[in-house]
Amino acid sequence: MDYDNLKEQWGEVEDREGVRLSWNTFPSSRMEASRLVVPIGVNITPLKEQPDKPLLQYEPVTCKPPCRAVLNPYAQVDARSRLWICPFCLSRNGLPPHYKDITPDVIPPELHPSNTTIEYKLARPAPSPPIFLFVVDTCQEEDSLKALKDSIIMSLSLLPPYALVGLITYGTMAQVHEIGYTECAKSYVFRGSKEYSPKQVQEMLGLMPQGMRPGMPQQQPGRAPAPTGASARFLLPVQQCEFQLTNALEQLQKDPWPVDNDKRAARCTGTALAVAVGLLESSFQNAGARIMLFTGGPATEGPGMVVGKELKEPIRSHHDIDRDNIKYYKKALKFYEALAKRVSHNGHIVDIFAGCLDQVGLLEMKGLANSTGGHMILTDSFTASMYKQSFARVFDKDDDDNLLMGFNASMEVLTTKELKVTGLIGHAISMNKKSASVGETECGIGNTCSWKMCGIDPGASYGVYFEIAGQGGPNSMQQGAQKGIMQFLTYYQHSSGQFHLRVCTVGRNMSGPSGDPAIAQSFDQEAAAVLMSRIAVFKAEVDDGPDVLRWVDRMLIRLCSRFAEYRKDDPSSFRLEKNFTLYPQFMFHLRRSQFLQVFNNSPDETAFYRHVLNHEDVSNSLIMIQPTLDSYDFEHESSTPVLLDSQSIQPQTILLLDTFFHILIFHGETMAQWRKAGYQDQEGYENFKELLDRPKEDARELIQDRFPLPRFIICDAGGSQARFLLSKLNPSTTHTTGAYGGVNAQTIFTDDVSLQTFMDHLMKLAVSGTG
Amino acid sequence: PDQGYPAHGASPMLQGGVGGVTQQLGQMGLGAGQQQPPPGGAPLRLNQLYPTDLQNQPFNVTELDLPPPPIILPPNSSATPSPNANCPPKYVRSTLNAVPTTNSLLKKSRLPFALVIQPYAALHDSEDPVPVASDQVIARCRRCRTYINPFVSFLDHGHRWRCNMCNLTNDVPQSFDWDVAQQKSVDRWQRPELNYSVMEFVAPQEYMVRPPQPLVYYFLFDVSYASIQNGLLATAARCILESLDRIPNADRRTRVGFMCVDSSLHYFSIPPDDVENGETKMLLVSDLDEPFLPTPEDLLVNLSSARQNIERFLSKLQEMFQNSQNASSALGPALRAGHKLISPVGGKMCVLTSTLPNPGHGALTPRENKQVLGTSKEGGLLQTQNSFYKSFAVECSKNQVSVDMFLFSSQYQDVASLSNLPRYTGGQTYFYPAWNAGRAEDAVKFATEFSDYLSAEIALEAVLRVRATTGLRMSAFYGNFFNRSSDLCAFPAFPRDQAYVVEVAIDESLTKQFICLQAGVLHTTCNGERRIRVMTLSLPTTQTLADVYASADQQAIAMYYSHKAVERALGGSLDGARDMLQQKVIELLQTYKKELAGGNMGGGGLQFPSNLRGIPILFLGLIKNLGLRKSAQIPSDLRSAALCLLSTLPLPLLMQYIYPRLYSLHDMPDSAGVPDPQTGEMVMPPAVNLSSERLVPYGLYLIDDGQTQFVWLGRDAVPALVHDVFGVDDKTQVKQGKGSIPDLENEFNERIRAVVEKSRDHRAKGTGSIVVPPLYVIREDGEPSLKLWAQTLLVEDRADQGVGLMQWMGVLREKVVQ
Ligand SMILES: [Zn+2]
Ligand SMILES: [Zn+2]
Repeated sequence: MDYDNLKEQWGEVEDREGVRLSWNTFPSSRMEASRLVVPIGVNITPLKEQPDKPLLQYEPVTCKPPCRAVLNPYAQVDARSRLWICPFCLSRNGLPPHYKDITPDVIPPELHPSNTTIEYKLARPAPSPPIFLFVVDTCQEEDSLKALKDSIIMSLSLLPPYALVGLITYGTMAQVHEIGYTECAKSYVFRGSKEYSPKQVQEMLGLMPQGMRPGMPQQQPGRAPAPTGASARFLLPVQQCEFQLTNALEQLQKDPWPVDNDKRAARCTGTALAVAVGLLESSFQNAGARIMLFTGGPATEGPGMVVGKELKEPIRSHHDIDRDNIKYYKKALKFYEALAKRVSHNGHIVDIFAGCLDQVGLLEMKGLANSTGGHMILTDSFTASMYKQSFARVFDKDDDDNLLMGFNASMEVLTTKELKVTGLIGHAISMNKKSASVGETECGIGNTCSWKMCGIDPGASYGVYFEIAGQGGPNSMQQGAQKGIMQFLTYYQHSSGQFHLRVCTVGRNMSGPSGDPAIAQSFDQEAAAVLMSRIAVFKAEVDDGPDVLRWVDRMLIRLCSRFAEYRKDDPSSFRLEKNFTLYPQFMFHLRRSQFLQVFNNSPDETAFYRHVLNHEDVSNSLIMIQPTLDSYDFEHESSTPVLLDSQSIQPQTILLLDTFFHILIFHGETMAQWRKAGYQDQEGYENFKELLDRPKEDARELIQDRFPLPRFIICDAGGSQARFLLSKLNPSTTHTTGAYGGVNAQTIFTDDVSLQTFMDHLMKLAVSGTG
Repeated sequence: PDQGYPAHGASPMLQGGVGGVTQQLGQMGLGAGQQQPPPGGAPLRLNQLYPTDLQNQPFNVTELDLPPPPIILPPNSSATPSPNANCPPKYVRSTLNAVPTTNSLLKKSRLPFALVIQPYAALHDSEDPVPVASDQVIARCRRCRTYINPFVSFLDHGHRWRCNMCNLTNDVPQSFDWDVAQQKSVDRWQRPELNYSVMEFVAPQEYMVRPPQPLVYYFLFDVSYASIQNGLLATAARCILESLDRIPNADRRTRVGFMCVDSSLHYFSIPPDDVENGETKMLLVSDLDEPFLPTPEDLLVNLSSARQNIERFLSKLQEMFQNSQNASSALGPALRAGHKLISPVGGKMCVLTSTLPNPGHGALTPRENKQVLGTSKEGGLLQTQNSFYKSFAVECSKNQVSVDMFLFSSQYQDVASLSNLPRYTGGQTYFYPAWNAGRAEDAVKFATEFSDYLSAEIALEAVLRVRATTGLRMSAFYGNFFNRSSDLCAFPAFPRDQAYVVEVAIDESLTKQFICLQAGVLHTTCNGERRIRVMTLSLPTTQTLADVYASADQQAIAMYYSHKAVERALGGSLDGARDMLQQKVIELLQTYKKELAGGNMGGGGLQFPSNLRGIPILFLGLIKNLGLRKSAQIPSDLRSAALCLLSTLPLPLLMQYIYPRLYSLHDMPDSAGVPDPQTGEMVMPPAVNLSSERLVPYGLYLIDDGQTQFVWLGRDAVPALVHDVFGVDDKTQVKQGKGSIPDLENEFNERIRAVVEKSRDHRAKGTGSIVVPPLYVIREDGEPSLKLWAQTLLVEDRADQGVGLMQWMGVLREKVVQ
């Protein structure tokens, strides 16, 4: 099969199953595996929407413990003896009585070869309806606060009526609104500057279990006990408290404490979050819940403060962190990390919506969203449509009117004995479950075969990494081509209120004897680039920037040394197979991307970009790594993809750049002049007007399913906004390489090496055998 | 009382009228008649000593209605012949209306020299107005800062005045005779400060540390289970709601705020009425460690501009907490929070609680142990168990915050500890044991009192200082305030229903024929005006012990010893307090016998001057008062509350509290219970001594100690009486206990009710008070505990561990005569 067909096939698999692998044939030996350089990995989107698949309304048939693998198309079924053989542990299991009518033509859906991914609706109800706890920063200008209030009020109408909602507001203090109280507006106030223990939070909210509160009288005869639980006071069904909550939101005003002109507002984001976590912790452990934080600025008060109140004191930059010039960073990080640990342990999600021109401390708080599968939305203001639309999209629903979000998920990986799982990179935490499927090495969050995702949505993707355990040799028990099989079991609380189980079983052929070319042919460079990017970013979170870049380079050189054709020490002889050719480019752009080159961004932006990368599937991730560039001109009816290269900038074209985070329309010099002259509004220039409109329409198309909503920029050649474009382009015509520059090409002022230079180096090193 | 001493006609201050004053002015001329008689000059004829025999001529209660021995001053001792030149006893009373010239004579007399000061005699200015000098010209002595007063003398053609305290000659201020506002000259002899010993100056800027602050009331409601259950919250809220118009707010600056407390603090942010969509918010703080305000907004609001929202809030308050099951009351933290809130302005914290404070600062434990009642350990229960209550009170005083406690618990509430807050901040402790709104009498009593309390025109940021003629020094101060420096008593808020005792020491021999004492209360009125209320008292001096005794004021003396006894009791020794009182009577009787009766007690009787005849029985009353009497039956909260009364009541009420009034009703004269045709005043039947011998079995009596009233129905009361008074045919149908005399349409019933009502009339007694005594109906043959309780008021009877009058006199005689 040629590469294009293979690529198509992989795409189909991704569409159908939500999985894409770096290698689609597994090496049979550990030795062989160690030479792959790029690990065996799966980018999996466990809850990928499957509109055409049936939802099974019965309990799955599982293998006996401790295996517990779920019956799947790779299992051998002996219909006559009513047995099935587990492909993972090779145990023979009886089929339940109602499978007695199985024949080769009549098989249950989970055995159908096309249903390697299938979902069960389990008989296990969710412990509580989904909970949405809004944590709202009131240190904001009136217009911003108003927009925020409106958006939250609007969201109430998007929630199922039984969903529980609550409100915490904060500024100098944190207030928990008792929306179940109807006599007047009532809230519990916590001092912003103080760190409250979980127990204190519960005590102060009156959430201690009955009888444990000091001084409580015995049940008074003839009186119904007053409602004391969180569910009766702070978190109520939307349908019951919509009026109260809407009123509380409408009454919200800017934090009333005075702020001097040279000061930042006192903002106790940390305390507010700690209280939110404590509130849910008491009564709703392991119930699906989102803590939705809306912050309008950095925390300046109490635990978790990221900057002082003096405006003259700037918030930390990457340089400050690099130079260890950080007053609050470590303490704040420690505080939020501890909170993240608690909240993820409790099974709750933290979403962070930032509406601020400056940083808000996302870097310090990132663990909250990263470890709970929460969203991060970074915008300039809550009045921005980017915020409003992204926020609304959180509440998207499926055809059955259920929210497209799952809660309290766990994903367990089972493998056949040749494969071992080494780790996961994505928004999850380890459940510390050991099994025979757990590998010896660790990649990402490892040493476990099971991870917890407090929040999971149909788009959430995870990189799962594997190693080869086996010493090779055919397995006598199996017939036909030997397969390595992985099974991903994702249990989660569906927003309809029941638990679901998604079973995704991935089987791939094992390679033949050593040197089997099938391995190289099975390389999916796109998936590989994305999986490697995740590893690089994971490393970047702990290692120094330069170390990570060196690692990326080294891995690339080694991959090329291994899989390119060349004569030793002759770079001109260097050739890559078609399914490898783009990989070096991806790595080139990855090296230059905001994921690894952080100094052009704020630490908050870095945290945001990395968070999003770790959530996306292969195709979206690729856009982030290597943005797409399309050109529009009069000659072509539709857009033409062009190289992400400065040479693509031409006076008579319009470019559409998609970096996933930004969508940018760039008018070449002539186009810009015409546009300024207003030709598009003149008669006889309809085609120009149409040309101007085309990229906009395409941009709208791109935005359709994008989350978070990208920033939309329209700019002209020479305009200041054009730098967004220039920073993404391959500097083939930098000022240092003026010889190349055609007269019409844009010169980029940068010291970055061009792709060509990069490739030259790569080829030189790859053929030298030093990699 | 045919043994009474000469009538008060001799007192110069009671002679003449305003007309007389103006007539005489012309004759006086400047500086005329001002010469002091030379020291040792012709002695003034002071009050004469009238010895009486205490046993042959027993004390009669009506003697307590007599005024104190008159103050006899040398002629022309005041600058004007004003009849109001000297201070009436209503405001300042001296234990000695003739002052010994030397300390040794004072010591020899064994009598105390002290002033009883009651700056205000009514809850409202309109009920007891005093003249006001409003031109802000305040002449004061350069040296001793005495305010110019009727007893100064003018020299140098009226350009200078001599201070009657320190003799310094001062310039008369330029504008003393000139009205700047009206641009015309003023007749200085019309100036109130020269004509009235009790008057007020409107103070200029320099008398203010800061601009006059608005009146602030911060209400702390206990909302724990007990206060919901007994209806306190509902009643208090309703009462405030209905009294909003009564709260002084003439300048429309009065501010109010509310906090509810159980185990948490509930703040209320009440927006002004003109805020669109303004909503009252409850902000609940459970972090009790350090007080903090949950919002800077609207926790204290202007009564006028947030009136509607306040009303709405108060009408809802009860519902807000109707489901409360919380048994905790974090009063200490609530107080600290309230203090933090109002301390920038100062004002009143009004605490209403039914619960022993528990969590947080100032936590108290139910420490009362029935076993120790009546033992020497009992005194410990009268002391505060947590130092918070004193240190916090001092902090409050510093920041011009006054605390009033309204206490309602049916269980031990530790009045002893809680009463410290009012004690040091010029506040008061109001105790309603086992109060329950379900009983109409309880609800009415509290609501009436609380409403009057809210209406009282308190003063703010007040200090009291007493100055005196050189040689005299204020040596001790008694009452509810904080003694900020040696002679300065600080009152964050000055109440209208309390009196104070100041002891005077004679440091140097007095050479003048009369001395002066001037009490000044610098304060801010509740209308935002800075004023000084000045009370100047002149007293003659004497070198003879007989004069001292003949002019001694037995009621003022009893009041002084009431404070001394409370001091001892709070020091932990009830026995010590009683012993001190007994010793004192004996000492006085012995001194009199030895020094003035020539050691001879003819007939073996006990002799004492007629003006002091009440001393033995008043002291007996003190010893047998609820606050001090020896008993194992008195819960310490009741005792502590009684001690609060003994140390704060104005003199007329204190006298009644230690020697209650007993009226015989069934046989009262026809004139009683109806208004006097001349004066329109309700006529009371004659009071009767407090002895069960005076109670006939068929009689009907009123016993009233000012705090509680008892209507006593004899066991043989005739059905007609029962029918007329109670409207039932049989006395067994008379409802016993807390209640009232039914409103019946017969003349006798009306008269009885009139008497009961009149007996509660504070204004007639010349004092402000909010107290509405509850009335208990007692059948002599009915509920024994009620009967016993009423009998404890019969001071002359022997009861429990207390001696009867006969026995008491026996003991005294024994100690004195032998
Ligand atoms: Zn198995
Ligand atoms: Zn003087």
